[in-house]
Amino acid sequence: MAETVYIRMRNRIEKRLNEDVLLQDLAQVIAADALMEQLEAMVIYRISEGDRNIIVIDSTRIIKAIRSINQDLEIQIIGPAQTIIEVILKKKEASIPLFLLVWLLLFIGSALTIMNFHEDVSMQAVHQKLYKIITGKEVEKPLIFQIPYSLGLGLGMIIFFNHVFKKRFNEEPSPLEVEVFSYQQALDQYVIMHENKESMKKLDDH
Amino acid sequence: MIIKILVVLFIGAAWGITVGAGYVAFLTVFGIIPRLTQLTKTGSKIHSYEWSVVCGAVCGTFLFLREPSFSISSFILIVMGLAGGIYIGMIAAALTEVLNVFPLLAKRVGMDDRLLVLMMALVFGKIFGSLFHWMYFAP
Repeated sequence: MAETVYIRMRNRIEKRLNEDVLLQDLAQVIAADALMEQLEAMVIYRISEGDRNIIVIDSTRIIKAIRSINQDLEIQIIGPAQTIIEVILKKKEASIPLFLLVWLLLFIGSALTIMNFHEDVSMQAVHQKLYKIITGKEVEKPLIFQIPYSLGLGLGMIIFFNHVFKKRFNEEPSPLEVEVFSYQQALDQYVIMHENKESMKKLDDH
Repeated sequence: MIIKILVVLFIGAAWGITVGAGYVAFLTVFGIIPRLTQLTKTGSKIHSYEWSVVCGAVCGTFLFLREPSFSISSFILIVMGLAGGIYIGMIAAALTEVLNVFPLLAKRVGMDDRLLVLMMALVFGKIFGSLFHWMYFAP
């Protein structure tokens, strides 16, 4: 009976330029011990200058490579059918000035939008009216209401995103993290379809 | 005369129904109540929360149409202000999330790992903008 090799492709890996992509980088492999070492160290792909920064390796490529060393193996692919390799050109270091710029952009933008919102819904008038309803007195600036309101505004956002700086209320991921995750997944899906040479056949392909 | 009253009643009710439905639709899109039940693990009480929103809306309408005067200590306003602020803050946060601003921005500038610090910019911006508005900007 033919020996079976189980292969589970990883979703996404990172590699540097001019590095060899081994089978063990691309996939988890289960096979007989003797075969295992040989398989895992097998070079499937070599990243060269000509590659773009996203490479998709299809599982058929791995099957081909394994069959080229041993015809009799039975290969079972479990899980995803391809792996996305992200080529890291140089160590990504987020520049501090750019970061500060973005930070200030968000800060000022956020401050101005909330002011616009308050003006838009005539919140000052509403606060004055509310102050009058509760206390029976009229004031121009009901700060006793407005300062807690302002602090609550920030607190509400933090609660929604489930973060108190580094500390969380519970173990669940925050909606923001889920959002980033689904965005990444949509990107991956796109890349799988559009960068995978195996899954597309065009008229002018040779 | 009676017809006039009936027509006005009908218009008022129609107006109220549309605004109320719109308000609920607005809340549903932002998903604030599910988010709160998720954080506090009180998913079974979600129907009481619905009623709390409905009662709040009706009370608010009543207060602002009739303008009663209670003459209570103004300290209760601290609690109300905080609650109101948290509520609007959550809506603001949900709005940025619905619009998908953050993942895109963080990805574009390559700062996926500093999401938290960027988010704090929004939070502090809101607090600062709000305080500035009330203390200096507003007439």
